[in-house]
Amino acid sequence: MPLEDFRPMMERCSNCLNCKWIPFDKVRSQRFSENCPSICYNNFNTYSARGRFQLAQTLLDGKFDYTDTVVDVIHSCTACGSCDVTCKICRYNLEPLEHNLELKARAVQDGHALPQQKPIIDSLKKEKTMIAGRLKADRSGWAKGLDVKDLFKQKAEIAYFPGCKYSYEENLQKVSRDFVKLLSKAGVDVGLLGNADACCAGRANQMGFREEFEESAKANIKTFEAAGVKTIVTPCSDCYHTFKRLYAKLGMKIEVLHAVEYIDRLIKEDKIKFTKSVPLTVTYHDPCHLGRLGEPYIPWDGGEKKVLNQVHTWEPRRPRYNGAYGIYDAPRDILKSIPGIKLVEMERIREYTWCCGAGGGCSETYPDFSAWTAGERITEANSTGAEALVTACPWCESNFKNAVDENGKKIKVFDIIELVQQAM
Amino acid sequence: MALEREIYQAFEDVVGKRNISEDPGILESYRCIVAQSSAHYGPFNHVTPCPQAVILPGCTEEVQNIVRLCNKYKIEFKASTTFQAAMGYIGSDYAIQLDMRRMKGIEIDEKNMIAIIEPYAIGATVQAEAMKVGLNCNMAGVGCSSSTLAGTAGWVGFGPSSLFMGAASENMLSTEWVLPDGDVIRTGSAGAGLGWFCGEGPGPSIRAIFRGKQGATGAMGVCTKVAIRLHPWPGPTYVPSEGTVPAYKAVLPDNFKTYTLCFPSWEAWADAITLFHENDVLYLGHRQFNMFGRDIKAAMIKILVDPDKQLCDLTTLMADEVTKAQNEDMKLDIQVVIAGMTKRDMEFKEKAIDRILADTGGWKSELMLQPDIAAWTLLYLIRLGHKNLNYTKCGAYEGNFGMSANVFVTTPLMEEASALKRKWENEHTSVAAVGGDSEMGSICLIGGGGPMGWEFFDDFDAYDKDSIKGTFEMIEESQRWMTSKGLGADMGRWNADARRPDAYNYTQEEHDAMFVKAAQPHIYAYQWKVREAFNPNHLGGSYFRTLDPSKL
Repeated sequence: MPLEDFRPMMERCSNCLNCKWIPFDKVRSQRFSENCPSICYNNFNTYSARGRFQLAQTLLDGKFDYTDTVVDVIHSCTACGSCDVTCKICRYNLEPLEHNLELKARAVQDGHALPQQKPIIDSLKKEKTMIAGRLKADRSGWAKGLDVKDLFKQKAEIAYFPGCKYSYEENLQKVSRDFVKLLSKAGVDVGLLGNADACCAGRANQMGFREEFEESAKANIKTFEAAGVKTIVTPCSDCYHTFKRLYAKLGMKIEVLHAVEYIDRLIKEDKIKFTKSVPLTVTYHDPCHLGRLGEPYIPWDGGEKKVLNQVHTWEPRRPRYNGAYGIYDAPRDILKSIPGIKLVEMERIREYTWCCGAGGGCSETYPDFSAWTAGERITEANSTGAEALVTACPWCESNFKNAVDENGKKIKVFDIIELVQQAM
Repeated sequence: MALEREIYQAFEDVVGKRNISEDPGILESYRCIVAQSSAHYGPFNHVTPCPQAVILPGCTEEVQNIVRLCNKYKIEFKASTTFQAAMGYIGSDYAIQLDMRRMKGIEIDEKNMIAIIEPYAIGATVQAEAMKVGLNCNMAGVGCSSSTLAGTAGWVGFGPSSLFMGAASENMLSTEWVLPDGDVIRTGSAGAGLGWFCGEGPGPSIRAIFRGKQGATGAMGVCTKVAIRLHPWPGPTYVPSEGTVPAYKAVLPDNFKTYTLCFPSWEAWADAITLFHENDVLYLGHRQFNMFGRDIKAAMIKILVDPDKQLCDLTTLMADEVTKAQNEDMKLDIQVVIAGMTKRDMEFKEKAIDRILADTGGWKSELMLQPDIAAWTLLYLIRLGHKNLNYTKCGAYEGNFGMSANVFVTTPLMEEASALKRKWENEHTSVAAVGGDSEMGSICLIGGGGPMGWEFFDDFDAYDKDSIKGTFEMIEESQRWMTSKGLGADMGRWNADARRPDAYNYTQEEHDAMFVKAAQPHIYAYQWKVREAFNPNHLGGSYFRTLDPSKL
């Protein structure tokens, strides 16, 4: 939807500033009460969802042109969707996250992308990955030696899609290999796309590069269809959201599951059995794109309708996407089923989780901000007394591994698949 | 017109480069577009001036240095915290905006039952920190998203819990103020170096100069710290909740109960309220959900407690005969919360409520006793976390016919007031089918009882210029009607004498012309003397109402 079409939302924003906080009903302390990394780091109101509505409104009014600061405000949003959840605690007719993404797309369209974004997008176009510096030719190297089907030669029950991080980063490649072995051991018929595997490009969308995203998405959908894929399983939350929500919007009909959903299913079907104890107190970080942004796409083609004179609503009913039905229980159920694991919760969890800081391309474009955001989460994790922080997204994992808390202290970070492997 | 480089640099030297901005994009987000939110605290449909710079001080010393520079260069300044209402924004072109969000300290003194807080400590966080040690704070009606300090030192500050905990003006103890000329003063016991427990001495007792009843709305310097009284919280160290967003529900022990009490007539209603004032029974008393409108409230509640319902379900729910009957059942209602300090205390409170209902012919709403709805209501009222439900229907609302008087004065007028907005319902600028009465508010605006603090909600669409215009006309008509009844200024006009309709400050000449005709002009002349003593350069804007004594 073009930025101009958001004007009713811009003008109807109530300036209540719910978008700066976790749901008030969930506030348990001052220290962990705020939700938006962007305004917490930058402090000026403009960096909140409310501020971005007002910024866009005045940009459309032609009150000023892009400045370096304006470009910075627009792009330093992790697209984590936390503002979207809390706005929708009270409002049924505003879409702050959709607006923030549209504002980024407009800035890119107007020639105001960040210089740091160029090598990432160039890499997507040339090497089919958004990890700049990596080569397409090396993408499937992680699977070398694995006894697994090539989907272009044989049919399989599921297509395993590791995503860029698990394909290229050495420490994550092992997790990816172990996951495929785990699936095979559980009797799952799994296949890979081999050389046709390419970046989902979800982060291009998060950075405002719409054309590049759509081009990659359409090519990937064609690949999936050509390979006869019926179900995709991915351990990457970014890929999960991209397939489940964005590709579905582009017409993809394939079932999409995150690794935690699949593992949870296998545990409950008794196909995965734990034989070892993992004596560890852990806390779980909900990845934004698996949790609050992990709700399935629901087609909608409608418009505004006023009822009772002035109450603005939608006709037909519009999907809310407020994080109510994201993936929260599957990873917790997995952790609770592993012998020896004790799960302690942080204050900001589930739909009101604090972002890891990697989203929106910020881990590459604003490394200091991104590291600070991850550090805030590590502070929260350490406050629980947990020995380790567990997550289900490689972007979160990398960001946490490189960050320290407010006292300079680190915490052990695990992909949930690693703990499952340790217990088998 | 940008600040001269020398001046900007001087401010930057105080707070550092990261904490000051004059970028046009940043500045535009510090302008209040009044019609976009709660319009009734300022002029309507205008945008406040664009500040010269936005500055984020990090401590009292920085605030002091900023204020001194403002005096040196004769620049108006205004400090604000959550920026929810027009009163927090500047009123002239040559002014800077202070955003206090970096000052958010909360210190709980459990033994003395007080909290010492900084400007950006909001109600939700102060409450959360207090509950950890079995205490609670009065939550202003504006809701827990607002600054407790601003509500305490700068504005009225009463709310649902004021019956038990008192209003902000009653809870304010010692304060730390950066005076308009840049001096710092600590009032009361903090001024004598004895701690923060008392605002009336043994140190300087000048709270009335800065606070009074209604507050100085940030027009007399910057309050950088305030101590407030805390009150007993007989519950867990936080309020546990469950349920799917946004329909969260409290999970509290049996010593907490909420009821929606209903009455057969306004007379019975008023009798019950006075009995509640006389008996120390309620932890919290508020007429809350009637803000949606008498004929809409049950349908809205059903939407809000169900995560799968939306506003598009509103008309279907309203047409349901069961819902209609539930609305009729709670036509004249209030919501209450009781909190038992002991088992016996709880039993007494339950009996007292039943006795008051029996004496006044009242009853408990069956709808609101349904477990899910009761648990949702309890969470709502205790935390005021969904307070911005004010905006749910349309995004903006206006309040008129503020029933800020004795119940026996105003309840006889309720139905006549309810009929006022029919004209605009018929013209489609107001929400239709409200049922007239959408009056809501606390059952007292001082601790223990007394006058009410109500307003008549009228929701409007800020994107619809006709809706804005119609609402404006309705408020004008409300004021005419209230004047004819001898009821004084309508809530929608409380700050109409503080900021001009074009969103700028009034000049002294304009205020003189206005206040010389006031019923009690000497008050404004006295305030003129206060301002001359404390704010010689007049840098706080026109929210501090003054009259040049020579004009009397």
